[in-house]
Amino acid sequence: MELLLFKHNRPGRVCTFEEYRDGGGFSGLKKAIAMAPLEVQQVVMDSGLRGRGGAGFPTGKKWSFVPRDLPGPRWLICNCDEMEPGTYKDRALLEANPYSLIEGMTIACYALGVRHAFIFIRKGYETAAANLARGIEEAKKAGLLGERILGTDFSVDLDLHLSAGRYICGEETALINALEGKRPNPRVKPPFPAIKGLWNSPTVVNNVETLANVPEILANGAAWFKGLAKNPEGAGNKLFCVSGSVAKRVCVELPIGTTLREIIDVHCGGMRDGKKFKACIPGGASTQFLTADHLDVPMDFDTVAKVGSRLGSGGVIVFDESQCLVAATLNLITFFARESCGWCTPCREGLPFVKEILQRIEVGRGEERDLEIMREHIKYLNYSFCALAPGAMAPLDGLLRSFEDEVREHILKGKCPYKTEKQI
Amino acid sequence: MPKLTIDNIPVEVPQGTSVLEAARSVGITIPHFCYHPALAIAAACRLCAVKLLDGPVKGIQMSCSLAAQDGMVVSTTDPEAMKLRSLVIEWLMINHPHDCPVCDEGGECLLQDFTIAGGHGRRRYQGNKRTHMNQYLGEGIYHEMNRCIQCYRCVRFYQEYAGGTDFGVMGSAGRVYFGRFEEGQLESPLSGNLVDICPTGVFTDKTGRFRARYWDYQFSPAVCQHCSVGCNTSPQAFHRELIKIVGRRNDNVNGWFICDRGRFDKEYLNTPLRPRDPMVDGTPCEYEEALAALAARVADLAKVHGPESIVIAGSPRLSLEGALMLTELAEHLKGATLSFYAGPAESEVSLGAVKLLNEQNAATVRDLEGADCVVLYELDLIEEGAMLVPAVRKAAVRGGQVYLVSSGQRTLSKPLPFAYRQVASLDEVIIEGGAKGVVICGAAPRPAEEMAQIASLGAKLMLLQPGPNGFAVGTVALESRAVPLSEVLSSGKVKALLAFEAELPDRLPEGVTLLACADWRASDLAKGAAVFLPTTTWIESDGTAVNFEGRAQHFQRSFKAGLPLKGLDPKYYQHQSPAPLHPPRVPHGEIPGGKERDCWKVVAQLIEKMGGGSMAEPLTGKWGALRDLDPEGGGIRVFGLRDR
Repeated sequence: MELLLFKHNRPGRVCTFEEYRDGGGFSGLKKAIAMAPLEVQQVVMDSGLRGRGGAGFPTGKKWSFVPRDLPGPRWLICNCDEMEPGTYKDRALLEANPYSLIEGMTIACYALGVRHAFIFIRKGYETAAANLARGIEEAKKAGLLGERILGTDFSVDLDLHLSAGRYICGEETALINALEGKRPNPRVKPPFPAIKGLWNSPTVVNNVETLANVPEILANGAAWFKGLAKNPEGAGNKLFCVSGSVAKRVCVELPIGTTLREIIDVHCGGMRDGKKFKACIPGGASTQFLTADHLDVPMDFDTVAKVGSRLGSGGVIVFDESQCLVAATLNLITFFARESCGWCTPCREGLPFVKEILQRIEVGRGEERDLEIMREHIKYLNYSFCALAPGAMAPLDGLLRSFEDEVREHILKGKCPYKTEKQI
Repeated sequence: MPKLTIDNIPVEVPQGTSVLEAARSVGITIPHFCYHPALAIAAACRLCAVKLLDGPVKGIQMSCSLAAQDGMVVSTTDPEAMKLRSLVIEWLMINHPHDCPVCDEGGECLLQDFTIAGGHGRRRYQGNKRTHMNQYLGEGIYHEMNRCIQCYRCVRFYQEYAGGTDFGVMGSAGRVYFGRFEEGQLESPLSGNLVDICPTGVFTDKTGRFRARYWDYQFSPAVCQHCSVGCNTSPQAFHRELIKIVGRRNDNVNGWFICDRGRFDKEYLNTPLRPRDPMVDGTPCEYEEALAALAARVADLAKVHGPESIVIAGSPRLSLEGALMLTELAEHLKGATLSFYAGPAESEVSLGAVKLLNEQNAATVRDLEGADCVVLYELDLIEEGAMLVPAVRKAAVRGGQVYLVSSGQRTLSKPLPFAYRQVASLDEVIIEGGAKGVVICGAAPRPAEEMAQIASLGAKLMLLQPGPNGFAVGTVALESRAVPLSEVLSSGKVKALLAFEAELPDRLPEGVTLLACADWRASDLAKGAAVFLPTTTWIESDGTAVNFEGRAQHFQRSFKAGLPLKGLDPKYYQHQSPAPLHPPRVPHGEIPGGKERDCWKVVAQLIEKMGGGSMAEPLTGKWGALRDLDPEGGGIRVFGLRDR
């Protein structure tokens, strides 16, 4: 298996600039600069690279929405506000090697005609931020960033912005507002950021992992990248960060299309304490539960969507047979209810409503009609302002779809069946 | 022009109209909270959901943020849309305190209306309500944060429209809080509009809390008479007490809002100290007696000293009708001097503006909003015309350049909420050729050469008047060759001063033997007048006001004048035993203190008493065109009439 994102990783420490450069780093940038910007964009388009932040939108297509004939600046923002519960791939990536992101952003700036780019990084990611800050200085010193890159007319400034920290800042328009110094409330779409983003200029917002893929795509070509995936529709590798009831909790780079079974059994050393697999969240907290029936589904955007969930960010949370999924869902909804920005009614008021119901069910005070109320919320929270509330409903949707009997059991028994008398 | 169908009604609206507005245009009110015509679209409350059955967009959409497009088939009554709307209400009701019986907004509350309309009735949420601490926001506004439904109207108005910086939104998720960083008086001169713009009772008018309900109020369209901008208001009265003043929409003048002075400054209208009884030589009497006494004394004096010894004084506080009637009185007393201004400076400013302005060069508020360059000339705009501030702000936000020309004599009472450049003289102002410029001048005395320089800038003009109705009175004064009062009095020939809502000097010169006053407020000098005739304020009378840009607007009586029931002296029901219930259950024909008459009618009746003809209609001749002016319309500019 060919590594792409973790290619330069060194065990227990961050890779140095020299190691990255001598290991083939910056060859993608050199190749890109020799091409026309639109050709670079076409390579990314042909590679089939899809956004790794969670939505899986084709990156080349996103870039192509940016109007090139408008006067005024264009902006590129790297979204490193990784706050999705269960997701830590960007941290793992940046703590091992900040250079592929820096190189990827430089190439993206070249393709998009951006003069000034930003990395919006989560407040808690201090090591990653320090790596990036150092990497930016080193790249500048080597003439790979800043004024007149590699002696050409092409110049890029890269700034690191430490977020004040909210989950909603991961939403691209909220992130833009936060970067502008405003409250991180999402904006009305359309206009989309590609047309009117940061300071009302065309803006592309890409995830860390997405941009870190770009140098190797340019270095080795679109066909090579496409061929990395295990299934024909997929393209490239993906970082899977596994947590929960597995023997070894790891962040591992695997080809797109790897099955859940392989991830858990081969790369995580199976279930913890020999317990039986019950369910997992495949791609961060805002995705539906997958059950044992789905262990052989290839982990790719479209195939996971087909079985009613999302590949999302690749943050896999595994639950075993001894764990209560009502409690797990309550835990997630509590997070989302707290992280709502408070802008629109369904999210601000609907999530605490669901939280209150799940709390009651978990302590044994649930009622039959609660199921109906929760189903209403699953349907109607789709009409909230941004994707936070619909995402928050995904685990609840999965719970009611695959584990309704477990919820009923709570209601009928008047207690959580997974808790001992002592725990209750 | 997109053509669409809303609830089976075909609608055609201009490009860019939202579905919500398109529905309004055919009389369908889609429930909404965060939408307000004066504010940018927020799409936050999610209440205005409709379902699109066919056309370019399908499914449930928020009608406020969806532009009408050709071929749309919209249903406002689709079960799915109605279910979402009822859920939105249910969500908002989770934390609303349901304290309508003790909420001053009750009866005029958008949340009440749309809760009923929304179809949610039974509480399903079993958890606790979140609560907030309230803040002291000054003497004008009471803050009750628990009622908040987070529509963000207040903060969008305060920061984006009014340009205020001391009030905003804090916290996130269910703890979103609208208030100040620290308790204290709100700084914006437009802060009172939070009362009008809040769809529920978070901000209520502290000066009129718990006095009456919406359905109790008597109110009519009025025109604010605090400054010469002429904002449209609705004064709300109950039991002859003016309880609240709220803004009334007029896009030609004030838009939707009014300033804090126009809203909260009303105690002087309710005060029990207002003169309510006609008096002759200090003794209360009937109105007719007082009028007869005055007519007789004026006739006697004219016989002895000649009508040249009589001065008839008014002021820019008079309505157009009042000013015109004074000219009739002056004509009746042939030889009497007419005066409308206390001094020559005030007269010069007012008449100078009337002379200089015409249909072409007088800027409207729309001109100001669209200006590329705005010059504030020796002017404290917040003090002299606060409702022009948001218009200048709009121009500035659009990229217009604002200059403040200040020689340093006048200081700003409050900081202006927009970016501007302060310059020492007009010479530093650059209005590029073809740029739309507007110069706003205050009512401070202005030297003639500077006025000439301003007129030569090629910009449109806004010349504020020294009194609320200065333009009307100035026009009449110009035509009737009126003389400033201080000049007439200093001539030494004056024997009688008949003052109708006039600004009197502190003391009269020797030789004046007859002072008659008709007014709704009284200085010590006026109280000692030989004949005193109480008049009604603009809120208690019908009339016409002309604002600084020559726009005539009609105002109507909100309630019949009289002593407010609040604090009414028991002497007024002493003839009943025992004293009646509160409020009185039996109407009595006579209103305590209700002897006040409209000033123009007082003048007309005086002319009649002196043997002149009957004057039933004050707006005659060229002014007759204003008789049918719609009080709820946009008003009309009088330049065409004036120059006829």
